[in-house]
Formats: sequence, C-alpha cells, structure tokens
Amino acid sequence: MAFPKPQATLRSATGIPTGRLAVWWLLASEVVIFGGVLGSYLMHRLGHPEWADAAIHTNTWIGATNTFVLLTSSFTAVLAHQAAERGDGKTAAKFLLFTIGGAFTFLGIKSYEWWYEISHGYTITSNGFWAFYYTAAGLHALHVIAGAIIMGIVAFDAWRNLELQRVELIGIYWHFVDVVWIFLFPLLYIAK
Amino acid sequence: MSETAVAVEHHADHAHDHHGSEGFLSKYVFSTDHKMIAMQYLFTGMGMAVIGGFMAYVFRMQLAFPGISVPGFGQVSPGEYNALVTNHGSIMIFWVAMPVLIAAFGNYCIPLMIGADDMVFPRINRLSYQIFLLSAVILLLSLFVQGGGFGGAWTAYPPLSAVGDYNQTSLGASMWLVAVALEFVAFLLGGINFITTLMNSRAPGMKAYDIPLVCWMIVIASILFMLSVGPLIAGAVMLLFDQTIGTGFYDPARGGDPILWQHLFWFFGHPEVYVVLLPAIGITIDIIATFARKKVFGYKMMLYTTVATGVLSFFVWAHHQFLAGIDPRMANVFTVTTLLISIPIAELCFVIIATLYGGSIRLTTPMLWALAFMAEFLIGGVTGIFLGASGADIYFHDTYFVLAHFHYTFYPIAIIGTFAAFTYWFPKMFGKMMNDTLGKIHFWGTIIPFNVIFIPLFVLGMGGQHRRIYNYEHFPELAGEGMYQLRELATYALLVMLAFQLVFFYNCIASWMRGKKAGKNPWESNTLEWTTESPPPHGNWPEGLPNVYRGPYEYAHPDREQDYWPQNEPA
Amino acid sequence: MSDHQEHHDDGHHVNYFKIYIILLVLLVISVVGPIVADVIREVTGVAWVATLLTLVTAFGIAVYKAKLVIENFMHLKWEKRIMKWMLTTSLLLMALMFAGISPDVMNHEGNNWRNVAAEAAVARGIDSGEEEVVEEDTAPAVEVAFDVESMFNIVCATCHGSEGLGDGPAGAALDPRPASFADPEFWETRDRDRIVQVITNGAASVGGSPLMVAWSASFDEGQIQEFADYVQTFRPN
Repeated sequence: MAFPKPQATLRSATGIPTGRLAVWWLLASEVVIFGGVLGSYLMHRLGHPEWADAAIHTNTWIGATNTFVLLTSSFTAVLAHQAAERGDGKTAAKFLLFTIGGAFTFLGIKSYEWWYEISHGYTITSNGFWAFYYTAAGLHALHVIAGAIIMGIVAFDAWRNLELQRVELIGIYWHFVDVVWIFLFPLLYIAK
Repeated sequence: MSETAVAVEHHADHAHDHHGSEGFLSKYVFSTDHKMIAMQYLFTGMGMAVIGGFMAYVFRMQLAFPGISVPGFGQVSPGEYNALVTNHGSIMIFWVAMPVLIAAFGNYCIPLMIGADDMVFPRINRLSYQIFLLSAVILLLSLFVQGGGFGGAWTAYPPLSAVGDYNQTSLGASMWLVAVALEFVAFLLGGINFITTLMNSRAPGMKAYDIPLVCWMIVIASILFMLSVGPLIAGAVMLLFDQTIGTGFYDPARGGDPILWQHLFWFFGHPEVYVVLLPAIGITIDIIATFARKKVFGYKMMLYTTVATGVLSFFVWAHHQFLAGIDPRMANVFTVTTLLISIPIAELCFVIIATLYGGSIRLTTPMLWALAFMAEFLIGGVTGIFLGASGADIYFHDTYFVLAHFHYTFYPIAIIGTFAAFTYWFPKMFGKMMNDTLGKIHFWGTIIPFNVIFIPLFVLGMGGQHRRIYNYEHFPELAGEGMYQLRELATYALLVMLAFQLVFFYNCIASWMRGKKAGKNPWESNTLEWTTESPPPHGNWPEGLPNVYRGPYEYAHPDREQDYWPQNEPA
Repeated sequence: MSDHQEHHDDGHHVNYFKIYIILLVLLVISVVGPIVADVIREVTGVAWVATLLTLVTAFGIAVYKAKLVIENFMHLKWEKRIMKWMLTTSLLLMALMFAGISPDVMNHEGNNWRNVAAEAAVARGIDSGEEEVVEEDTAPAVEVAFDVESMFNIVCATCHGSEGLGDGPAGAALDPRPASFADPEFWETRDRDRIVQVITNGAASVGGSPLMVAWSASFDEGQIQEFADYVQTFRPN
C-alpha cells in the first residue's frame, strides 16, 4: 500500500468499480488478439483439407485432461472470489493457491505433450497446421504463465486481507483464459 | 457509496503529504503524475518527429538531386533509401502521431477536463510510457544493426518482410517488428486507462454530454485502436516466427498466404487513420468553439457522427489492396463502404463551419492552426475519393498521387493538429504565453511550404511517377526536365519548411524562459482545465476537485455579461 | 474499497459446484461425440451425419461451455449492459474480419484468378497423406503440373518481365536493374551452366547482384533446368 490511490481511481460514475471495468476492457482487447489467431487458423484449415493428416497426430486425451485441469482451476478461482466477498482473505488465498497449482499442472502436461510431439518430428516448421498449433497454444500458455504470476501477487496480498477486490479481477481474467482453451480444445484436438 | 467518500478524503490527504518531497528522479523520470507523463510523451514524440523529418530531408534530397552527397548524411545507397522511407513512415505514424495526439494530449487533457486528480491507474500509465520509450529505442537501434534498418515499407508486406534473403536486413526487420508490437502494447495499456478514466472518474455533476468533445474523441479513438489492433498483434507474432524460426504462415508454397498479412495489417491500419484523426478533430472543434466564442453547432450530432465514423472505419480496410489480388467481388463492396465513410467526415466539417458561422472570431495562433487543419484536411479527403473508387485506383495505385493524398491527411492530423493543441495548451502547461507574432510567422512558414511540397507530388503522381523508386534517372519516361523541376520544387519547399521549425523551437524556449505570465484562463475558455493554476500542481486542484454545472461550450450566453461561463461555476 | 462487493450480494447466489459438474459432463460429451461419430461413419457409411455430430459436439458444446463460464463464473449475467455490448462488439468485429478475409485466404480459385501455390500445397499434402486421409467429399484433388512458362510468369516475370526484357513491375525499383535476356551483351558472358548456377544459388554466388536470390528451396533440380532452357529461348540469335 505504498502507493496512494488518486481520487480518480475511487470514483465510479458508471456504477461499475474501476478495476472491473478495466479488466473487461482488457479482455475485449484480448478477444480480438485471440480472434485474429483463431480466425486465421480457421480459414486456413478450411482451405487446406490436407491439414487433417497433421491434426490426427494431436493427442485428444491430453487435451481433454488439460481442459479438465483448467475447468477445475476456474472453479477454485470462483470459490476464492466467494471467500473474498465474505472478507475471508486467508481462505481466498488458499483457493488462489489451488488455482496456481492448476496452472502449473496445465503447463506441466503441456510441456510433456510438446516434448513428445517435437521428439516425434512434429515441430513448428513442419507444416501450416503445426505452425498454428504451436503459435495458438503458445500464446495461450503465455497467458497462463502471466495469470499464475499475477495470482501469486494477489494471493500474497489477500493472505493479509489487503486489496481483496483484486481476487475477483484476477478470477475474471483466469476464466477468460479458461474460455480461450475451451475453444482451442475442439479447434486443435477434436476436429480431425 | 458513503464509505467511498470517506476513503476519498483519506487518500487525498495522504497524496499531498506524499508528494511534498520529491526528488528529481521521482518528479521527472518515474513520475506517476498524468501531466508529467504527458510531457514525456510529448517531448519523446517531438524528438522522434525531428528524426523523421531529418529522414524526409535526406531522401527528398536524393530524389531531387540523385547521387548527391547529402549534407549531414552523405551518399544515399538504395538500401539506405529504403530504410529511410520505411522508418520515416513508421516513425511519423507510430512514434509521432500516436504518442503526441493520443497519449500526450489524452494524458494531459482527460483528467483535467473531466475534473479528476489523475488517471485511474497512474502506475499503468507510467508503465505504458516506459514500454513506449523502449520501443522507440529499439526502433532507432534497428537502424544501426548489421545489414541496416528494415526497408520493406511501413506496411511490411511479406514475403519481402518475412524472408531475410529478399530484404537483406533480417535483424533490422525483426527489430522493427518487435518495436511496433511493443508500441501497440504501450497504447493498449494507455487506451484502457483513458477509457476507464472517462467512464468512471468524471467530476460530480458532469453528465455524458457535458464532456468536452476532445475527451470523447480521444476515448473513441482508443476504443477503435483497442478493437482493431488485436489481429495485427497476432499477425505480427506470426510474421516474427516466419522471420526468425522459419515457419510458413505467409508462404503459399507451405500452406500460408501472404494476402493474410495485408488483411490483418489493414484491418488495423485503416481504423488507425481514424484513431489519429479523431483526436485532431476533437482538438480543432474545441479550439474553434473557444475562439469563435460560440457554442458548438450540434454537439450530439458531432458525437454520433464520430461513433458512426468509427463503426464504418472497420468496413473499409481492403481499399488498400485493390491491386493486391483480392477477390474482385470484395473490391466492389469495399469501394462502396469507402465512399460511404466520406459522409460522416463531411458532416464533421459542416459542424465546424456552422460553428464558425456568426461567431466573433479571434484569430490567435491556435485558431489559425485549427482553421488550417480543416482546409488542408479537406484536400486530403477529396483526393481520397479518387483512390477509394477501385476503378480509378487501378491507375493511381502506388503512385505519388497516393503519397500526396495521405500526406494531405496525416500532415494536418499529426503536425497541424499538434501545433494547434500545443499552442492552445502551452499557457496551461508552462504558465507562460507564447509569442503570437513568432507563432504566426511559424504558422505561415509551415503552411505555405507544405502545400508547395505536396501539390507537385499530386501532379507527378498523375504523370505516373511510381512511389518506391530510388533514382529516376534509370527511367527515361520519368526523368524528363519538367518532372525534375517539380521534384526540386518539392525539395526546396521542404527545406524552407524545416528551416521555419527553428522559429517554433526558438519561440517555445524564449516564451518558456521569459514569456508573459499566463493567468488561470488566458483564452477565457469554459472547460475545467482553465479553472486551476497554470501549470496545475500535482493533484490538479489543491483546494478540492471541481463540481460541474453545465456543458463545456456555453459561450456568449444572452443572460450573462461575461461571454463565457465556466463549467464549474454554480448557476 | 469494499463498496463494489455489495454489488454481488444482491441475491444471486449461484451454485458454483453445480455449474462445475455440468461443465465436466459437457467435456465428456465433447470427447465422446467424435468417437461415436467415427463409429457411425464406419458402420453406416453416412458421412454427413458423422460430420454434423462432430461439429455439434465439438463446437456447439464449446460455445455452451463458454457461455456457462462467462455468465456464471465471470458474472456477466449480473453486469451492466455496457459490458455485454462491449463483448458483443469485439465478437462481431471478429466475425467481420473472418468474412472479409476468408474469401481471399480460403478460396484458391476465383472468376479470373487462381492461387497456384496454394493449390499445389493442397495437392502435395494430399498425395503424401497417410492412409487415414480425410473424408472423400472434402478433398478435391487438384492436379497442378509444373508448367515452366506459367511459373516463369508468376515467379520470374515480376522482375524480369514476361518477355525477359528486365522490365517487370517489381524490377523497376531495383538497382541494379534486372538483366534483360534479350540483350546480346548479356549472353556474351553467360552459358547455360552459369544460368543454372544463378537460379540455384543466387547471383551473389557468381559475384552478381544479391537481389537475384537463390531458388533452390522452391524448385527442384529438374525444374531449374527447365527454367534455364526457358530463359535461353529469349536469347537473340
């Protein structure tokens, strides 16, 4: 709390708290970033039926496991928010730690999967499908890493009952990361 | 909400204690004060403008006098020529127009004009400037790496930009791309800040239609930027992978498509034109209302028209690609939407003219700049009609006609708009009045040579002069005596214009050192920034933030003796 | 700082656990759906039913899952209208982007144009594909034979011109200008081996302009030989 907030931060002419408003705007800009990648991927995929030959080498079960991990971490994130609303910072921090654990599990599974694929010769330069596969999933994984780091900071504050409104904000971001994966999963793994 | 009020009081006290004792670093370099960050953006942008202007000087000399050893640079090689034009374009749009018009004046005006003490996220604001500065440094360094700066035009079409064997500047190209991407990130952060500040932090009593138009315009521009830049960020990542690790996103032989980049680029690139245009129009309308001493004609109409422009600007991007091999059916669609977008822009011009009509006009320096913006931008807009029609564009594509057209739009926006805003808010920023005579000399010394530079280029373009040529001596049909005379005329005019900028810099420094002291409200304007000290202290209104009672343009109200009525004055 | 928390306490207690379970069930369906679809395709041979089932279970369910998460976990259901507008706008823009770009990227053929390179890539990919190739109806095999003249007009003529005069549109900006194959002087110092060498490794390999780049990555040896023959047809006698 070294930094004194200006009055501007505490005003709310729209009735929406400033932090939440900003996070939603951030997500709107993220939607178009991921929209750009996934839109480009989709139109290439439809124009190149031969990419299906590459797509069958992705592992649906690993993808499904990762979906499960992210859905669970989203669930704990929302529980953390619930606890923060009650003013229970310690419980919120604990649930956030669970969520961070989910993030690391996701990244661990992802690295195993990539290691397996790369060692079998399916690298980012192999063909168009793999290029999009690694780019889209990599961009998503970057968001997972960033989310985990920020969540660590938020959890640290929440443990001392400080800045509890941030628990909700990081939660909203985390659910968005989850939603992106919900779309990546069928696009990259299921549709063969 | 009562709880919030208590918290507000507490924090306000705290803030003032804290900022009493600032060192040099925390006051000027790592400041979170929106006014200081605005200054940082402003001076970085002006520094970049000087660099971009120097580049223009070098390549104009090469074009007028091929092979000459340019004073201050030396002989220009083809590779250097390409790097110069590419970086001139990138710098002027991404490192001059954007930071000065949106970031600098957005940061300076929005909190002051809506009666807040700072932006909602001061530290994100500071971070945004730091990322921007980093991007500028990377761009400038890219000019000096092995192989030289990137020379594939500011649009960076693959395969030229993607394959190092083609552009011969693989490191420069990657650095250029990283710099542009970082710059986008900086403005995304800044944009979220602007939007949230305007939505949430208005002074008590300020309703949506009491916000000065310039704030609306900057925020609408930020929204346009945010929603259009995403696909290009994604595309830039893909291009970077093509350049560095050898993927084939834009290589048709490997399943990619080079047209995809052009689409992603212009999906951002066309709204981008309006991103920089709207703040300039907002600045113009505010200045014109102040110096015509008249209410803006059709405030709401102006606002809705702006929103319509913003929406339409997303539907026109492919008019940059009529000759790029896009689907001809799409070319028809985009011709229609392109011609449509001239309607709201014309409407904005009519609003400005109607505001002037019957006003008691004061021809101060900022007013001259604002009027010049209108006049010059109109020429840019009208020549755009030629290019927007796909039939005519087949002839004009990639000629100097295109070049002159977009300089007639971007120059009024980025240079004239900036001078208008700078001379208008200079008393507020530095507490001193600018010398009006020097200001007017600088004005005429900029406007007249500007037209002498670019009108010949229209003529050359109609004559078929292609854009991306380093030395016209190789082309007998373009090396005629008359054509060289026009090129030399443009170059001489550029030299005159650059020389007159010295008057501006002298005027700035001299006025800042020993100009007449400006009071709180030298222009007798209504908006909130003129109700505090010049320059405003940290926190903007030390004696408490203002309340708002009326709209921003209540000039010459019949019931009042004074011809202006500040927004914060109780009825 | 706690002012906004009242916001969520106005009586919308969601049973988050219930939503979570629904999401997991949907996940299972979206994995099982395509497997069932494969079985249907093998047993009945009706491809469109299987394709439809895959699409619905994969993408329909993804949309529904996203809706559940956004509405309940992210509380969009209780947000002000402006947030929904914002999100809808950005999604609509993505639809617009897709609609504007896909006619160029997705189609490889139009009224008066063909994307030869993309067609070749599709054909190559399908030829080399393993046995489990795509459904028959989605893969129109495109036969793109290598035709030296049309390939010259696509690749080389941009600089060298279709008549080999060095007057191609892109070549106009190059310094030095691209070589003209109709120039007798040009042939004084060239033979066929040198032409092949330049096409394969770039002109820089024989001390020429680096702007003539190497093409060995794009064409095989036989094709380069054909190019060399074609270039020689421009030679004045």
